Amino acid sequence: MIEFHLDGRSGVAPYMQLIHQVRQALRLGLLREGDQLPKVKDVAAGLAINPNTVLKAYRELEYEGLAAARPGVGTFVTGTLGGGESLAAHGPLRRELQRWLAKARRAGLDDESIEALFASTFRSAAETGEEIA
Amino acid sequence: MTWLTWRQFRPQAVTSVVALAVFAILLAATGPHLAGMYASSGVASCHGGGCQPLAGNFLTTVSGGYTVVFMLGMAGVLLAPALIGVFWGAPLLSREFETGTYRMAWTQSITRARWMASKLALPGLAAIAVTEGLSLMYGWWAAPIGQAARLASGSNFPLGMSPFSLLAFDAHGVVPIGYAAFGFTLGVTAGVLIRRAVPAMAVTLLIFAAVQFVVPLAIRPNLFPPEHASQPLTANFSGVQSQGPGRRFALALDYLDSQPGAWIYSSRAVNAAGQPVSIMPAACAHPPNGDSMPCMASHGFAVAVTYQPTSRYWPIQWTETGIYLGLAVILAGFCYWRLGRRLP
Amino acid sequence: MTSVIETQELGKRYRRLWALADCTLSIPAGHVVGLVGPNGAGKTTLLNLAVGLLAPTTGTIQVLGGPPPAKPAQLARVGFLAQDAPVYAGLTVAEHLKLGARLNPGWDAEFARRRTDWLGLDPGQKAGKLSGGQRAQLALTLAIGKRPDLLILDEPVASLDPLARREFLEDLMEAIAEGELSVVLSSHLMADLERVCDYLVVLVGSRVRVAGPVDELLATHHLLTGPRRDPATLPAGQEVISASHTDRQSTLLVRTSDPILDPAWTVSGVGLEDMVLAYMRQAAGGGRRRDQLEVHR
Repeated sequence: MIEFHLDGRSGVAPYMQLIHQVRQALRLGLLREGDQLPKVKDVAAGLAINPNTVLKAYRELEYEGLAAARPGVGTFVTGTLGGGESLAAHGPLRRELQRWLAKARRAGLDDESIEALFASTFRSAAETGEEIA
Repeated sequence: MTWLTWRQFRPQAVTSVVALAVFAILLAATGPHLAGMYASSGVASCHGGGCQPLAGNFLTTVSGGYTVVFMLGMAGVLLAPALIGVFWGAPLLSREFETGTYRMAWTQSITRARWMASKLALPGLAAIAVTEGLSLMYGWWAAPIGQAARLASGSNFPLGMSPFSLLAFDAHGVVPIGYAAFGFTLGVTAGVLIRRAVPAMAVTLLIFAAVQFVVPLAIRPNLFPPEHASQPLTANFSGVQSQGPGRRFALALDYLDSQPGAWIYSSRAVNAAGQPVSIMPAACAHPPNGDSMPCMASHGFAVAVTYQPTSRYWPIQWTETGIYLGLAVILAGFCYWRLGRRLP
Repeated sequence: MTSVIETQELGKRYRRLWALADCTLSIPAGHVVGLVGPNGAGKTTLLNLAVGLLAPTTGTIQVLGGPPPAKPAQLARVGFLAQDAPVYAGLTVAEHLKLGARLNPGWDAEFARRRTDWLGLDPGQKAGKLSGGQRAQLALTLAIGKRPDLLILDEPVASLDPLARREFLEDLMEAIAEGELSVVLSSHLMADLERVCDYLVVLVGSRVRVAGPVDELLATHHLLTGPRRDPATLPAGQEVISASHTDRQSTLLVRTSDPILDPAWTVSGVGLEDMVLAYMRQAAGGGRRRDQLEVHR
């Protein structure tokens, strides 16, 4: 069973944070198909957030096909992300990224510049409609 | 709600039970002996006029310790309604406002009217019971002294007082019921208006004391029209005689032979025609044995007395009780109305 | 959806001061409603009017479809936790529960006892000796023990330390998740409300400034940054809540349901706390502090 946390200062809506955390857990292999998600009541009490917020997140996950609610029992993980691969399966991509980072450093960029470059490229790519999983 | 009222009233109830017990023990320890002394004094079997000396003797023999108990007991009965008003009545509702607990009490599932009725009923009835209980206990104990005091009323003997006299009247009979009800509701009303316990207690005490001072002086004498009588002058005049320059004189009586214990409003010397006189006849100015009474009597002088007969004792008691109970009802009704207006 | 509290031009005046004025609200059922605003804005007044402790000076208020509770049947449906959680100092925890049982026919004794056990409240402890957090928990138990349809809490966590505050809210959320309960709670701290509320009413200077579901409020309030501009030149549908300017740049917080098409603006979302602060500033006379940086031409 995973445990949720909430970053009150991140500016991201709480229900989105919950969804992100479920997705992240799936990616890292912490959540597998068939696992039960924490009960709405427990999440609301544990984080001091509105139960409706939790319900909204779980419904969104259901809509994306990642979870399904069983009335009276709870909400269970039904799907996986992408092609079912975890991060560990993306070896080639990881190595390519490491090479690019090395290039960026040789070009003289510091950490913040690298992050800013990545963030603006990522955002503009998203805005032009490219699919990001 | 009854349980809650009782639970909140419990500390006061305990204190009053203890006080009653102490009072009862003190009276029980001394009462029988006092009754014995009374029985052997011969006052009980004395009737009509002329009992004054016997009664006076008895009163003299009980002076000392018994006098102290007599006074303390009377003080206790007189103070009880005031203490009840201050310590039971004033904090009853004011504490709820002071601490904010009324906001919890008024949002449970009972109406404000029911809440108030319950809060008033238990302590109110207890107030009446305690005060009247004290009065009856004291009355039983002090009966011998009271009897003798009535027979010996006037200023000639220690403790000699008519049952109408200021303190004695307030401590006996049914008026303590009225005082208790009034004192309690006065305290409650002060609490409702002032909303803080200590100021409410102070105001209750002041107003109650003022009322208890004013009523016997201004209201009680006017409840029933007084009677008039004329007491002839005899040797050994039992009243007060004063003389001034010229042949001025004045007479005052605080004891009526025909009505021991009557409430004397006023008395003065009158001539045979019933008109007030203040000048002594020349013939009586220098009596042979210093007593000008027989001489003035022969001139037809007498003392005209305005008084309330002893038969009026109970009518006055009941009327005054009724007035106080009426005041209590009005005050309680006012509190009801006031709290129904939903003030913060 | 029915509304739990509905007011029309509700107003309350004390002597010459209007504690609440022109209040028109329709608070829907089934939500956790936050009533936020600075101290003295009228929150306590509004809540006291809702539970029947005050009578309106002007306007009307309906609670659960009827007048503010006065009869036992109505009183049983509304639970109230007053400011500073008043309790009877001389009564023990167990006696408070007995109070709840005796004064409320709908009292759930089992539920109340389970709660106090779970909270760790000693039944024999006098309420006056409890800590602030424990008193608030006891008062909350008394408010929800009668299983109301509507729960009204007046600044329930204002005087609690951070841990007690968090525990109180966690506890409240659990109680809500268990049953059908509408909640209205007031606070002057946005941080408390942000996590738990899905409907917000902003009360500043005795008036309602904005009210609505949190999602809708977040979607309709935007922060616009761009070259210096007079707020009056904005299109009609865009209401400027607060504006601050430097010599070159303007930052505006606007409220609009229409999309913002002007390319000169950089549009970003705004958090609830900043939104509420903007309304407070607007009520106070708008953007005074930033004026110091203005260069007058």
